[in-house]
Amino acid sequence: MDLFLVQLLNGLVYAMLLFLMAAGLSLIFGLMNVVSLAHGSFFMLGAYIGLSIYQITNNFWLALVLAPIPTAALGMVVEILFLRPLYRRGHLDQVLMTFGFTFVFFDLVRSIWGSNIRNMAVPEALAGAVQIGAGIYPVYRLFLIAIGLALALILWLCIERTRIGAMVRAGVDDSAMASGLGANVPLLFTGVFGVGVALAALGGVAAGPIMGLYPGMDSEVMIPAFIVIVVGGMGSLRGAFVGSVLIGMADTFGKTYVPSMALFLIYLVMAVVLLTRPQGFFGIKHMGSSGNIPPRNAVATAPTTRSRIIGAMVVAAMAIAPLFVNNHQLTLVSEIFIFAILAMSLDILLGFTGLPSMGHAAFFGLGAYAVIVLASLFNVDPWIGVAIGVLLAAAGSAFVGYFCVSATGITFLMLTLAFSQLAYSVVVKWRDVTGGSDGIGIPEKPAFFIWSLESRMVMYYMTFGFFILCYLGLRRMIASPLGHVLVGIRENEGRMLAIGHNVQGYKLLAFIISGTIAGFAGGLYALFNGFISPDAIHWSASGDILIMVMLGGGGTLIGPAIGAAIFLLMKNLVSSYSDHWMLIIGCVFIGCVLFFPEGLWGTFRRLKPVRAS
Amino acid sequence: MIELSDINSYYGESHILHGVSLAVQDGEIVCLLGRNGAGKTTAILTIMGYLKPRNGAVCYNGRDISGLPTHAIARLGIGLVPQERGIFPSLTVRENLTVFARPGARDSSRPKDPWTLERIYRLFPRLKERESNLGFQLSGGEQQMLSIARALMLNPALLLLDEPSEGLAPTIVDEIIQILEGLKKEGLAVLLVEQNLRVALAVADRHHVLNKGEICFSGSSSDLKDNDFVLRTYLSV
Repeated sequence: MDLFLVQLLNGLVYAMLLFLMAAGLSLIFGLMNVVSLAHGSFFMLGAYIGLSIYQITNNFWLALVLAPIPTAALGMVVEILFLRPLYRRGHLDQVLMTFGFTFVFFDLVRSIWGSNIRNMAVPEALAGAVQIGAGIYPVYRLFLIAIGLALALILWLCIERTRIGAMVRAGVDDSAMASGLGANVPLLFTGVFGVGVALAALGGVAAGPIMGLYPGMDSEVMIPAFIVIVVGGMGSLRGAFVGSVLIGMADTFGKTYVPSMALFLIYLVMAVVLLTRPQGFFGIKHMGSSGNIPPRNAVATAPTTRSRIIGAMVVAAMAIAPLFVNNHQLTLVSEIFIFAILAMSLDILLGFTGLPSMGHAAFFGLGAYAVIVLASLFNVDPWIGVAIGVLLAAAGSAFVGYFCVSATGITFLMLTLAFSQLAYSVVVKWRDVTGGSDGIGIPEKPAFFIWSLESRMVMYYMTFGFFILCYLGLRRMIASPLGHVLVGIRENEGRMLAIGHNVQGYKLLAFIISGTIAGFAGGLYALFNGFISPDAIHWSASGDILIMVMLGGGGTLIGPAIGAAIFLLMKNLVSSYSDHWMLIIGCVFIGCVLFFPEGLWGTFRRLKPVRAS
Repeated sequence: MIELSDINSYYGESHILHGVSLAVQDGEIVCLLGRNGAGKTTAILTIMGYLKPRNGAVCYNGRDISGLPTHAIARLGIGLVPQERGIFPSLTVRENLTVFARPGARDSSRPKDPWTLERIYRLFPRLKERESNLGFQLSGGEQQMLSIARALMLNPALLLLDEPSEGLAPTIVDEIIQILEGLKKEGLAVLLVEQNLRVALAVADRHHVLNKGEICFSGSSSDLKDNDFVLRTYLSV
């Protein structure tokens, strides 16, 4: 059979799976301005529920039809109980909420169905292959194409030709006006959310036999689906379809004809579309429509004598702490210092400039990989590696930032996410250099001046010192005119533009500063850990940093550092006696988004009695 | 029909409406006048429940509706024609009219001659011509007509009109005056927000003038015409 035809069909199969994901994502975004990061989890959950139904009933069709029902019900419960209370608070909180659920669902799937890959058999009726031209092609794949096209048609008819569909479109256009005419918009949201989840779940069951089921299969389709809706235009069903076909084909043909470039091809398509048509092919809402995230915490006033004294006492306590704690705790605190630097660097972007990055771990990874790859392959001194890593992170963030800073809010989040996954795939695929998914290490840790970093005590004081330096430096920056401009952009971008500030330039600068410091933190981590694997730059690692910042309180600088401490302590503590640390941290995060939107430090600071100055 | 008593509304911390009280009786057109930023639109948003008043009551047929969600208020029989017209750009003219159309509120007196698509097209022949055009393809005047027609399709007992004459050519404003006069004959109650005194005097029975969130004049058309002080100070005529 002609290779071209096979690839065309394979491309269509992939496109249809992407469409089942992207259609729901796009409709949910169009109506609610929320990008559901849990959408992939519902895909995975649907697949696993389908697997169980299949095992019980031994009937694939039953699994395909029934699995979306409980999944959609679960999705609607999540929407009603957890997203609804946040409508008034802005869409980023809702996005973060869905991110919290990715932890919960991941843990759920892993504990119910185990973490091994599970296979789902192709139903007997579709098990064979058919003769097409000179070759054969699996019937099941043709079936996937057919079901994808059929669902696309049904969905299109529902949206374009029915009254409910018109209501959805009206809600996408202007949900406030729709409610003014008597539309129960929250109910409409829940309904559309449910339909979106059902489509994802159906996609999960349908993909089961060709993809295999494993915890983590969610990211496999979710990231390309994000790219699809960025390319196709958010909020548009037609865009989701065209985008799916384009990305599906680009990926499939790329892998066949230009394998060395295949990885970059879909990102290249995305970059080209963004540069030439920022709202995507059929975008209804312009990229900028979601706006910067609203301010959570006011910028702190200058330190008072009392806060200086407290600060000095805390620093002093940390300085003598090594005398009282054991080696394990010393290591943990060193790690906390490194991640505190990382979280503070993200705070520059998220808390102060209002740009929610979901790809921050990429720069951290760049810094870390630079140290270890250079040391292990070229025998470069690790400290020179740190310097090179910082430069690489600066260059990388300048490049990524160039594409991302014209977007705001949720679009910004999706773009940074997509770019970080590009970095992730490069690291995984470039085995010769990065060691692939096994990771890569250095044989021994270098010295810090005359003291060997093999000593935990030296490591502690070094990371502690760098943490204090970074904190003071960043605090200085926030108090400077540059810091004021960044906060101004967060509060009101249009006004900053109107009074003559080069807003894009400042956003790019914030992105570069933030990425560079993240690269430095990555370099320190490489020295600390002596080993790095792609897990450190997976998008969920970026999410972890986001959690740290939100947990502590964005826009407070010290809050994210505290958030990093709480996150790592919790991870350490919980994982020592329970396998369900993801579930627990997910729930803590969800609770935090619900009840402490200002973060723990932000809430604490607000509760402190304010004295007249 | 509808009665606002001692309403105080805020946007965040800024106090917009200061103890506003006004009422619209059955079959009456009441006009709310005032300059930009006087709080006219805020009053409409408060009635519709987009904005919850911090205190005071909005009573519709004797029932306090100020805590209800917006869609529930709309379903009581209040038709909204907002300032920006709020046409759904990706729906056709016909879909704009029918998407949320209702036969009228359940308990309140249903109109004897309910608004249907045919009747709307008789009143607005231009909308019939543009039936299958999308919302964003309409001119300003057509959008205004569509917005009024769409509100009528809900068969409301009370119509809230926010500056229907804004930005329109004088001939179209005349058309709108005619339509409002026709609606008045049908016995529809209207709360009209205007800056255009000509429109206000042509159709309304009673007037309230808002200044900085407070009502500083209430009276009939002739009272208003004779009150030079109010006209000059608050309406810059």
